[in-house]
Amino acid sequence: MSDHRPSLERTLTAAGCVLKLRGRWCIEHLEQIDRLLAETPTPHDCHVCVDAGKLVDIDSTGVMLLVNRLRAQGVVWPHVELVAFNEHQLTLIHLVANRLDARARPRSRRRALLPLLGRKATQWATGLVGHFAFFGHIVEGFYEVIRRPRLLRLRECTAQLEAVGPNALPIVGLMTLLIGVVFAFLLSVQVRKFGANIFIVDGVTIAIARELAPLLTAVLVAGRSGAAFTAQIGAMRVTEEIDAITTLGLSPVQVLVLPRLLAIIVALPLLTFVGDVMGVLGAAWVANAQLDITYYTFFERMKSVSPINMVLFGLYKTPVFAAAIALIACRNGFVVSRDARSVGEYTTRTVVQSIVAVILIDSAFAIAFPEITQ
Amino acid sequence: MNPAPNDPVLEVKGLHTHLGDQWLHRGLDFSIGRGEVVALIGGSGTGKSVLLRECIGLVRPSQGHVRLFGKNICDLSHSHLNQVRSRFGVLFQEGALFSSLSVAENVAAPLIEHTSLPARLRDEVVAMKIRLAGLPMEAADKRPSELSGGMKKRAALARALALEPELLFLDEPTSGLDPISAREFDHLLRVLCDSLGLTALMATHDLDTLWGMVDRVIVLHGGRVIADGPVDVVAELDHEWIRKYFSAHSGKR
Repeated sequence: MSDHRPSLERTLTAAGCVLKLRGRWCIEHLEQIDRLLAETPTPHDCHVCVDAGKLVDIDSTGVMLLVNRLRAQGVVWPHVELVAFNEHQLTLIHLVANRLDARARPRSRRRALLPLLGRKATQWATGLVGHFAFFGHIVEGFYEVIRRPRLLRLRECTAQLEAVGPNALPIVGLMTLLIGVVFAFLLSVQVRKFGANIFIVDGVTIAIARELAPLLTAVLVAGRSGAAFTAQIGAMRVTEEIDAITTLGLSPVQVLVLPRLLAIIVALPLLTFVGDVMGVLGAAWVANAQLDITYYTFFERMKSVSPINMVLFGLYKTPVFAAAIALIACRNGFVVSRDARSVGEYTTRTVVQSIVAVILIDSAFAIAFPEITQ
Repeated sequence: MNPAPNDPVLEVKGLHTHLGDQWLHRGLDFSIGRGEVVALIGGSGTGKSVLLRECIGLVRPSQGHVRLFGKNICDLSHSHLNQVRSRFGVLFQEGALFSSLSVAENVAAPLIEHTSLPARLRDEVVAMKIRLAGLPMEAADKRPSELSGGMKKRAALARALALEPELLFLDEPTSGLDPISAREFDHLLRVLCDSLGLTALMATHDLDTLWGMVDRVIVLHGGRVIADGPVDVVAELDHEWIRKYFSAHSGKR
């Protein structure tokens, strides 16, 4: 192996300069070859001869370095005399030297800060404009559907409703039940200190009906259905199905967005109500086990401390959450570009953006309506 | 390091493939010597692509074996198989460029994985490969989605050539190209094969490719190799399918 290492020997004679190549001038020794050529400067003002008498093998990368380095030192390539190369090697050298003509400028890999900043800013601005335009399209599509209800795809709506609603029931039920249990358990430890056992009912029902169930359900739906919407629509964009829908004279908004928007707006309040019930059940069970509050006492107390208005207030928020999730998810689906990484990137974006949106909307509600019992 | 020059680069022996519930290949035998450019033809569904995938070790044949560079790739461990894989390049039918990387990054990908070249030298090699595949340097920073079909094939070829392979597998290299680009691509392939000393096995439907640039044709029919030889010899053979295949071409003219 060792005698295959590349080496380079330079002999200066009166007639010119002779470069003797030895060993394998191949890709695995490329760094070494580069060093050899750098250590052996070739005078450019005399006749250059490359001798391959002891060369074992040369590949296109070896030729590239030889040609590039000699050219960089000012040697005019066609005037180089090639000695003892075989026929294959000669064709290779001529091919590479021809392709590597001077036109190919080295590319810079550095990126200037200012253009980057400008590019990001325009990207952000066009993105924002796109969001507004998308919202406009939806309003337009909605208006059309109200004028001509036949345009609404009922089958697609029900299919989406099933995916968003009933299919999410087990996970929503389980999560809210667990949160009810945990919340009641921690609260029971506190109320017992004050001998205020019965007030666990107030705390648990208000927290669950007003905040925990709506928020938790919305977050679950954002992660579950929002991500699914973006991935579905994004994959359809990648396979040009959305273009096909447009070419058939249909509106992608009506076919894809409205059914999903309506499905999630209908499903989220219903899911939240299931969440309310499961959370309270979990809390009642813990109150019974930890504080000896009977189920009868628990629900009697609940009737008096949490009027229907408060439960409804929790439910009123959810269609707004739902609309935000659907808008973000569908919009991100439509802007997916046609490569493999994009779908995943935008799906992640949907989940993050919609959870942030849900929490922001929830805080707005909390500030606008601070009264606990209305 | 190099086997004797007259050893076959690729050798397929007694290869059977059971796919679905039928035998796709029933005993294929052929071999390809160093420097040969060989075309694999056969009707749609005769298992050309599957055979290529078996040769590159993506699919295991049901029986028989495939020898690449004298090594039976069906017996090789994962790491040894990867060593063999760095000695051949594959040009997939649709190019199979990584869609989230630019052309230059696509060509650099095998270099990053299999060599320890410093970034400066790597860029130089990448630029050379892109030029060698006949692409302008402006294409280097483009995404595959911004390229035409012919440019995609050239970019994929540049990536397949990145590691100085000795053997090249091509799955329908000229499909989806217009006749002019297809002939240009054929010419490019032939020039590269001759000057880089490449051995090539391509599955193709393109008769012009067969007549124009191929040393030898292997015909798959009914799960067997029914002909193996230079194209002018194969075209004269008295076999129904072969006659139809070659007359489909002349009929059009």
